[in-house]
Amino acid sequence: MLLNRRNSGDRWRIRPDGPGKVTGGLAYLTDLTAPGMLHGLVLRSPHPHARILSVRTEAARSLPGVAAVLTRRDVPGLNRFGIARQDQPVFCEDRVRYVGDAVAAVAAKTPEIARRALGLIEVAYEPLPIADDPELALRPEAPQLHPDGNVLHSKTFRTGDVGPIFERCARVVEETYVTPRQMHAYMETEGGLFVPGENGGVAVYAPTQHGLMDRLQLARILALPKERIRVVSSPIGGSFGGKDELNVQPYGALLALATGWPVKIHNSRRESVRAGLKRHPMIIRMKTGTDENGRLLAHRVRIIADTGPYATLGAEVLNFATEHAVGAYRFGCVDAESISVFTNNGMSGEFRGFGGNQAIFALEGQMDRLADLLGMDPWEFRRMNLKSPDEPGPFGQPIAKTDGLAVVWTAVKESRLWRERTEGASAAGSSGLRNDKDRLPASEGSGQPQKAEERSPWMKIGIGAAMVMHGAGLGYGIPDPSGGRLALRGDGKIEVAFGFEEFGQGLLATLELMLIERFGFAPGDIRIVIGDSDAVPDSGSSTASRATSMMWRSLGLLQRPFEEKLLRAAAEVCGVPARQLRLGAGGVWGRESGERALSYEALAGRLAEPIVCEASTSYPVSDTDIVGAHYLYAYAAVAVKVEVDGRTGRVRVLDQFHAVAAGPVMNPQGYLGQIEGGSSMALGYALMEEAAMERGKYATNNFDTYLIPTIADLGGSVEVWPIEDLPEGDEHGPRGVGEIGSVGLAPAIAEAVRRAAGVRIDRLPIDPARLQEALPIGGMAVMSDDR
Amino acid sequence: MIDDGAEPAAAEAVNAVDRFWESTVNGRSMRLKVPPAKRLLDLVRDDLGLTGTKRSCEIGRCGACMVLVDGAPVNSCLMMAYQCAGRDIVTIEGIADENGGLHPVQRAFLEEGGYQCGYCTPGMIVSVKALLDAVPDPSPEELEEALSGNLCRCTGYGGIIRAVRRAIEEGRENR
Ligand code: FES
Ligand code: FES
Repeated sequence: MLLNRRNSGDRWRIRPDGPGKVTGGLAYLTDLTAPGMLHGLVLRSPHPHARILSVRTEAARSLPGVAAVLTRRDVPGLNRFGIARQDQPVFCEDRVRYVGDAVAAVAAKTPEIARRALGLIEVAYEPLPIADDPELALRPEAPQLHPDGNVLHSKTFRTGDVGPIFERCARVVEETYVTPRQMHAYMETEGGLFVPGENGGVAVYAPTQHGLMDRLQLARILALPKERIRVVSSPIGGSFGGKDELNVQPYGALLALATGWPVKIHNSRRESVRAGLKRHPMIIRMKTGTDENGRLLAHRVRIIADTGPYATLGAEVLNFATEHAVGAYRFGCVDAESISVFTNNGMSGEFRGFGGNQAIFALEGQMDRLADLLGMDPWEFRRMNLKSPDEPGPFGQPIAKTDGLAVVWTAVKESRLWRERTEGASAAGSSGLRNDKDRLPASEGSGQPQKAEERSPWMKIGIGAAMVMHGAGLGYGIPDPSGGRLALRGDGKIEVAFGFEEFGQGLLATLELMLIERFGFAPGDIRIVIGDSDAVPDSGSSTASRATSMMWRSLGLLQRPFEEKLLRAAAEVCGVPARQLRLGAGGVWGRESGERALSYEALAGRLAEPIVCEASTSYPVSDTDIVGAHYLYAYAAVAVKVEVDGRTGRVRVLDQFHAVAAGPVMNPQGYLGQIEGGSSMALGYALMEEAAMERGKYATNNFDTYLIPTIADLGGSVEVWPIEDLPEGDEHGPRGVGEIGSVGLAPAIAEAVRRAAGVRIDRLPIDPARLQEALPIGGMAVMSDDR
Repeated sequence: MIDDGAEPAAAEAVNAVDRFWESTVNGRSMRLKVPPAKRLLDLVRDDLGLTGTKRSCEIGRCGACMVLVDGAPVNSCLMMAYQCAGRDIVTIEGIADENGGLHPVQRAFLEEGGYQCGYCTPGMIVSVKALLDAVPDPSPEELEEALSGNLCRCTGYGGIIRAVRRAIEEGRENR
């Protein structure tokens, strides 16, 4: 059933954080102020690579209104951060390695004074040669960024020698795919308020995806016990992975502690672009061969990722990309080698999809090319080679068994869009006309004004599709604990606490709905506590599509003990056996009587202590020894119809269909929003987004030159078709959908454009000039391999 | 005058600071001391504490800072405070009615789920209100045109489009 408001009935609910969002009443952490507050700014390197000869701060310090100027000497603890590996300097010492590297920070009475003070800090640099091309950076003569060289991480997965097998292959496709540096472009830039505490500690009000991880990292930097740092980290004006790593928190906290006053930092967009993470640009070379019937025999993958100057989660992203470059298909033999390379370009790091976006763009490109070479329908070609539910995962590791691949494949096969593609072709009556786009019939009910049906000769239509198998959780080898807490508090509220964050995905709404449906509580009974390190248990990071799964699992563990405790307490108060009672809206109800026996408030009033239950669990992990290999996956298939204007080379997305198999839908509005929102990021990735760098400097610094999709790009219809079934006995419940929507649309668009314009896309974003050339006005599309 | 060339400008700046800025904000008359270089965005957020108006690109490209000036949508990051002296300014906080009852556009966003992180939402709602006040029954093209200066990174605009359609329909029913 299509996912929409009507089909969701009363499960479509107003989000608890909604009223504050539509009235502007909700204070984001960058909206906070405090009396006497100072304004903080960070001085960042103007050079992509340079030696620091000296830093002089006297002039800045003596400017009236300046409260503190900090440099590397003022970091009491570890002058480094990084979630996985602490290699990024808080303040650079003798070298800067990218244009976002921090050298000093200032707190002053006004933002203007702070800005003037930054200008008074004298840093003498000696520019160094830069490594801005990841392939060249691997050469021995390249400038070396770190003592151990320019390789952050490499990953190999090989099941045998592909060389001799390629010789036996009837068809071989070899291609190099190049993917762009995509910006998260959350609307709220990084920032927050940092308030010194009486105990020598600090309260940090700043968005992040894992407050307790920030606390740990800040404790190292500030040389403070964790308990003296409070991290309040929600609500968040968008993150998409981009606020997972520390950003301004070290500077805000150091300045607050140094001055004894609250400090506010709120990045300008320019600074956010310059210092912030981006999606890893990757060069992916694939060579894939089949026998004459189209069975995949060999797959060779080489990935080079530009990780920028420091680690953050670059190694983990690379593992993920490697796994997903093998993906859902049964290859006879796989030989994959990947490498993540340090450069003096901007920081790359965690971003929704986590390396899957790049890998699957390449992998699906191979599938479409091979099918074409074989003269086969690309969807049938995929089916032939998709793994069955009993087969292991991409790295040969055991995975949770589901029918996900088959069901999403079928959903697209039977979709209106795919029928339009295939039946259009058969209606043409000859396989020779397969590529004659103009014969495709009109799309019906696509919600798009189909003015183009009587298309001018330069308007071309194409339909493409792609498969996605996307891992969730952190994968083998990375501790992935979680947990939560349920309590009946003294004021009668059922308090649920998780260490997760609300960055827009609808976590609060999902949690509320889970509590209503599982326990029968009324919304008014519930108080949700998240995003405050002083108040939440460690649930792990709100990342890797794991939060929904972990809330579901934790609540499952908590249900029995919590219900039992509540009912036992209520039984004592009411003087009836606990088994005659049940939990419900507003209080404890008699099973037989159907009447409320006791409100939660009344029950709480009779308790000496609150009732508290905690659960700890961890994300399910595969029985393997391959680091990063996943156990749970979500599956999706995407079909898309595009229109290419030969005059401008512009691609318009007219119609999308997303089939998603990720277990039960926990929150219909959130699920739909994740797929729609994720796919619009994929649309941007395919058609317009690239944070280009020239010689280690960003060629873009704001939304005038970095374009993201507007409402005009997304006027077409988007249908989302969730497939909720899981095999009998599956214990893992909902798989997260936070990332999967952001993956499949880009390769599907590439194939649709190929159908429309005859151009094979090997590089994103798609360059309109290439389409213009391929579609000379008045001429016919010529099929070409674009080389 | 020849010797102290810097003086007149400084004196002028002082005078400007001392001049009062008067406008109506969300229906209330305001009288404030405002330095001449202050942007409307900073006045609204920092001086008036109306933080529903968001700061994001500061170059007029995203619409997060959208407010109404005499009923017309304006990027407050591009407008100087003095340019709207004496005019009628409405921010997101002034869209609901006096008793806090949500405006139909706000209700439609809530019910259709036309937001996720919510950071673009105030600006988006201000733009939609301005559009529907001017054109109660906009065509899809008019809608695209009116909202293409409001970026949303989270929703993919699906929920936003559904919310606006719903607001349009309700407006139609109530006419
Ligand atoms: S902040 Fe004003 S348009 Fe973006
Ligand atoms: S809801 Fe997050 S930017 Fe629109």
